[in-house]
Amino acid sequence: MREEPVILVSEISKSYRKVRALRDLDLTVNCGTSFSLLGPNGAGKTTLMKILLGLVRPDSGKAFLSDHPVSSPLARKGVRFLPESVTFPDWASPAILFKQLERIRGEASREDFDRRCTELDCIHLIDRPVGKMSRGQRQRVALSMVTAGSPSLVFLDEPSSGLDPAGRILVRNLIRRLSTEGSTVMINSHLLGEVERTCDRAAFISEGRLMAEGDIDTLSRQKGLALVSTADPDPMRAALSAMGFSCRPAEKGITADLPDPSHFPALTASVVETGIGFTGVTLLREDLEEVFLRIMGEQHPGDGSFS
Amino acid sequence: MFLNGIEQLLRRKIVLIAGIAALIFLGFYWWGISAASSAFDKGELTSWDEEAQTVVSMLRPADAALAAIITAGPLAATLITALAVVLGSSMLPEEISRGRMPFWLSLPQSRLRVYSMISLAPFAVSLGLALLLFGGILGITRLYFPFTSRNLILAFFSMILWLGVVWSCVTALSIILRKVASMVITFFLAGLASMFGGVYELMMMFPGEAPAALVTVARVTMFVFPADRGFRGVLYGIIPVDAAVTENMAFFGVTAEIPPEHLMYGAVWALLLLWLGYLRFRKMDF
Repeated sequence: MREEPVILVSEISKSYRKVRALRDLDLTVNCGTSFSLLGPNGAGKTTLMKILLGLVRPDSGKAFLSDHPVSSPLARKGVRFLPESVTFPDWASPAILFKQLERIRGEASREDFDRRCTELDCIHLIDRPVGKMSRGQRQRVALSMVTAGSPSLVFLDEPSSGLDPAGRILVRNLIRRLSTEGSTVMINSHLLGEVERTCDRAAFISEGRLMAEGDIDTLSRQKGLALVSTADPDPMRAALSAMGFSCRPAEKGITADLPDPSHFPALTASVVETGIGFTGVTLLREDLEEVFLRIMGEQHPGDGSFS
Repeated sequence: MFLNGIEQLLRRKIVLIAGIAALIFLGFYWWGISAASSAFDKGELTSWDEEAQTVVSMLRPADAALAAIITAGPLAATLITALAVVLGSSMLPEEISRGRMPFWLSLPQSRLRVYSMISLAPFAVSLGLALLLFGGILGITRLYFPFTSRNLILAFFSMILWLGVVWSCVTALSIILRKVASMVITFFLAGLASMFGGVYELMMMFPGEAPAALVTVARVTMFVFPADRGFRGVLYGIIPVDAAVTENMAFFGVTAEIPPEHLMYGAVWALLLLWLGYLRFRKMDF
């Protein structure tokens, strides 16, 4: 990842009639980042992505891709986009569609496309009409077309939509590979588990406002809990409780309350002191779903909609 | 983008049907012309009263060609106009409704390019059909009744103008009002323009005789939708220059002349309509 912004958004606002989709939103994404836009339905994620691609015109503010204003076709050189729902003509095969695409963008070879199809396990579909494919097969083929070659920036709107678990793993691997190859990837997805596994950074958007943005690891708070992994949870729980720790049973062991992370060495020492066998002591952090619920809960305190 | 559009259109059943209909039409035309040619050669056309026989005896093969062309031309024009309207009204709206527009617009190309290249494809297909039909009519007629056309270059440019007006109107309306409304309005305007175009030619035969209001309505119609001038330019350009019948052609819907400014006006009108459509397209969110 280079400290060179490839996406720069400054005070972007957009309204659809009376609905304000984005409000003075600022965002910077550096080269080589895999970045995710997160937020509830109607938060403005897709609108932001479409503004960046020049599909939607902002009411105010500025947005740049690789230093070019998004209204310029130059901004979209090397940029790829897979919309959430696109219907290709039923008669066309992926080979024909790729040829049509390359007539316009001229950025990838047939070999690049074949390679991507192989990676996404859809090379056998290359000459089959799109109308004779399942939704998941169409999604794999579309992903192969969009990411063939060496794109500098890839926008994926719900890339795992319609895919089975095996397909999701392939997409996950593809996103990682794109990042490794130096592409910046921006994903809009509701599958937080997928995002957590593939993205370095995330922006949380709610009601058109940027709520939080940063490294996923940084955004994830310590939960004030430690997991003691042991095959004998009951004796371990009793022993640690006697030493003054508040413990609860958990899957594969027990959890101990640890409001102050500086007490972690003391807890570890106490676990050793019990003399009961254990396989590890770990400080627990929030997963992305918990981060999401916390940040959105801060936006709507007390209404319970994100708890 | 243009080639992609052509490739897509050529897969549509309606284009296939229009192509087959055009070939059937030309087949029947060939059959009819060959039959008329044998009758003409045998002098069977002179079986009327004495006065008619005198007139008919003056007719040349080019007059038979003239009759054939002015009979077949409007029929061919109906098929071509129908195809231009149906394809033109559906091209952009379908790209939008099927979610492909974000895909095309996210590529490194301007909106103007996407708009013009996608919408140009129906024009090209309609022009192809028009060339096939009118070229076929011309070729088949010449096989049996040798003649020299008045001005084929004028006919070609008039054809572009005629289809250009229909296409630009339906394209602009399809993006402003959507598919069905654009189809109905353009068909209505094309029909109205054709009717008043014919009336105007008749009125020009009798200057000062027609009611002033009718002349005004005919002129306004030609001004609002100048496609008919293009179509009459096609007919005017391909009909024989060496026929004995040269007077009162307006009875057959053939114009006496096509002033260049009429064609120029049609071209400007078509470009203006396309530009209006683009202004709407440019502001659309996808």
